[in-house]
Amino acid sequence: MGVNDFDLGLAAAALERALAHGGEFAEVYVEERDGLTLRLEDRRLEQTSGGRDFGAAVRLLDGERTFYAYSDEVDEAGLTAAADAVAAALRGGHGVGATVVQLGSAQSRPGAHPVVVPPETVDVRRKADLLRAADDEARAAGGEIAQVIAAYADARQRVLIANSLGEVVRDDRTRTRVSVQCVARRGEVIQTGHETLGGSCGFELLGQAAVLGVAREAAGKALVMLDSKPAPVGLMPVVLANGFGGTLFHEACGHGLEADAVAKDASVYAGRLGETIAAPIVDAYDDGAVVNGWGSAAYDDEGVPTQKTQVIEGGRLTGYLYDRLRARQAGAQPTGNGRRQSFRHVPIPRMTTTYIAPGDATPEAIVAATPRGFYAKSLAGGQVEPASGNFVFGVAEGYLIEDGRITTPLRGATLVGNGIDILMKIDMIASDYEVKSGICGKDGQGVPVGTGQATLRIAEMTVGGTG
Amino acid sequence: MFELLDTALERAGALGGADVEVYGERSTSRRVKVYGGEVEQLTAARRTGLGVRVVRAGAAGYAYTSELSPEGVDIVVRRAFEHAAVSDRDEFVALPEPGGAPADVDPYDARVEGVSDDARVELALAVEAAARAADPRVKTVEDTIYADGEGEVFLASTTGVRGSYRASQCYGFAYVLAEEKGQVETGISFTVGRALPDLDAEACGAEAAARACRLLGARKCPSMKATVVLDPFVAASVIGVLSSALTADAVQKGRSLFAGREGQTVAAPSFSLTDDGRHPDGLDSAPFDGEGTPSRRTPLVAAGVLQGFLYDTYTARKAGRASTGNGLRGSYQALPGVHPTNLLVEGTATPVDEIVAGIERGVLVTDAVGVHSGANPVSGEFSVGISGVLIESGRLTTPVREVTLAGDLLGMLRGVVATGDDARWVPGGSILTPSLVIEGMAIGGT
Repeated sequence: MGVNDFDLGLAAAALERALAHGGEFAEVYVEERDGLTLRLEDRRLEQTSGGRDFGAAVRLLDGERTFYAYSDEVDEAGLTAAADAVAAALRGGHGVGATVVQLGSAQSRPGAHPVVVPPETVDVRRKADLLRAADDEARAAGGEIAQVIAAYADARQRVLIANSLGEVVRDDRTRTRVSVQCVARRGEVIQTGHETLGGSCGFELLGQAAVLGVAREAAGKALVMLDSKPAPVGLMPVVLANGFGGTLFHEACGHGLEADAVAKDASVYAGRLGETIAAPIVDAYDDGAVVNGWGSAAYDDEGVPTQKTQVIEGGRLTGYLYDRLRARQAGAQPTGNGRRQSFRHVPIPRMTTTYIAPGDATPEAIVAATPRGFYAKSLAGGQVEPASGNFVFGVAEGYLIEDGRITTPLRGATLVGNGIDILMKIDMIASDYEVKSGICGKDGQGVPVGTGQATLRIAEMTVGGTG
Repeated sequence: MFELLDTALERAGALGGADVEVYGERSTSRRVKVYGGEVEQLTAARRTGLGVRVVRAGAAGYAYTSELSPEGVDIVVRRAFEHAAVSDRDEFVALPEPGGAPADVDPYDARVEGVSDDARVELALAVEAAARAADPRVKTVEDTIYADGEGEVFLASTTGVRGSYRASQCYGFAYVLAEEKGQVETGISFTVGRALPDLDAEACGAEAAARACRLLGARKCPSMKATVVLDPFVAASVIGVLSSALTADAVQKGRSLFAGREGQTVAAPSFSLTDDGRHPDGLDSAPFDGEGTPSRRTPLVAAGVLQGFLYDTYTARKAGRASTGNGLRGSYQALPGVHPTNLLVEGTATPVDEIVAGIERGVLVTDAVGVHSGANPVSGEFSVGISGVLIESGRLTTPVREVTLAGDLLGMLRGVVATGDDARWVPGGSILTPSLVIEGMAIGGT
């Protein structure tokens, strides 16, 4: 049993039942997910694990209220129970309930994110061998590599979304990813390096050369940090390298543009459309339609086609990221950002691939124009409070900039600041745009996202270290 | 559910030549989110699933499914065998033999069954109302949640492990924004228990509001070396990071800063840390772990001296000792891995007022962001962003924010000069900890 055999008549019946006591919008979400993960550590392929989830959720919206029920039983009994649960929870709904428009024919966009080699057609042993090759390559980078953890994951997720507007959408998503973490040791000093490669595509992404490149990058980061000195403390110019540097925009700005934070006035970007929130050289986007992007899909998890949304134009705030619920409240159009981790999660506004557009400087020129500063090559991750815009980032790989040159590696650094403050202080952007793949967590839901950026400079920022 | 497990074991027996363990899970849960005095979201969930672990010729494979039909069971068993054929062999990989009587702890409270949706909504609304009423500077209560769940897990294996237990949990949570003169600060609080009557809605809402309001007017402070007081919320997040380095898994794979230090002094004498899987109040208590090993109490650090590590069956066999009952699973989708159960921090239990009065210059830290990205359990390096209140001449004075706290985890443990008398349970890891007082920390500000 799977999404493809699912009887649409069950969805139509569940939508009717869900709206029995009122409500403005009802939706049935059916999901089938088959995944495989492999993990190598300590030279041993220790975990080979995979599984299958098949479940359905019924959602009912009424005013600002959401009622949600889900079950692993994707049959008449399971859907009826879920639909009755949301209807019972609503009880005294506002006014007259919506009526279900007869379900139309299913929409889909096959080929929006082409899969050349479906991972399920590739022998698991080949995937295992890829990790063993990555392990060898990372260890060959230097005798001080003490440990390598290499992981492989692929998943095929098929969804069917039917709603009371009569819309029916099917989406068939395949994601593939490899990640390598290296530990380097010299005496008492231990350092780590991490690198990933992922996309909404098939096994073709993970050619031998590409995977070995990921392993070398991870090993290189760990090794270079063995020579690091404690990072200084204080205010200084910060040059953020391309790729992972985009995490900073994702955290410091992106979360504040998600319409749920905006609607609750819990974002520093709320009510500021059209205002200047960044330096004039900053253009920024969220793009859920990037072909084969790790954070991409043909439709979001509410059946809205994904799109490219400009959020900052010439330093001015031009848009927010909406799901259906928040778009309706704001009188805006949904932007294809209603995402959920699985049928067990309520869709909420989420980023897809979020990035600051490239400029025309070169990374070398930016460093050369910085007499003394901090060069953040790779960020470890961070957190932000959308309400205040305050954020903190760990720096996985950082260097001192002296006399316009990248010099000593620095460890234990964090970058601390405030979103708008930092965006206003971006004074140089290079052309070396790159995207990295990650998993973003919010409200207990993890979804795949891309973060992108070219090398750029922030004129002044707090660096926290121990030196 | 046991019939289903037995069916899976029979199927596996037909494939032959392997030890097989089947884990089943069945649960229901409810979650209510309120905003502005109204229900914003209500979720009703039913969850069932099965996970199969196969050990064949020293190699392990795992597969799971939410489809409990005979066909679904067939597929999951076959996949687990396929996966075992790919994993590398390891002489220490094995399923556990029965490990004796389950621990005498009951993580289930039958009162969880009688709770209505109305009562759930009422509790969430009471949390929100308490937060709003606590201080006029409360701008909004962005998130107010009540959630509860009850479930049953089942375990059966060809090596003779067989058991099941029920568990229940509930919590209330508030995330408050306070505003004054255009500056917004945030505060959170929790109330946790095994059933709704355990919760204190009033205290949860009021505390979240107070934590946000006390930071209003916060500014950066100058950089300095100072004594910090980590309140229990912040202390718990640091302990959470430390605990990952106290698993035998991290030690055996060269990922722990505690490796090879058993019996050595790793912390100040005023610091003790224990894992207790059968604590009567611990939300992570259970009669046995995800492999069927009875839960127990394991001292990790006693008066500053490292006592040992946490083990599951695999890491215990590798070390030539017994599992400590820490082979835990997040769900049927996950293999067991070495994780702490409930962690208890004990120390001097000094009154917090007395602690503050004795500090010439320092910071009471009430919020730390970036602990999971900014603290490295491998190298021990630690650098996070903090908010809190300055301590000057024995008094709490002005609030601070956007400053960093940095050091290394071992140095930090050795710098613990006292612990408070304010121990409390902090969820998100189930940690019972008081405030920690640490000397000589680097504060990075202006």
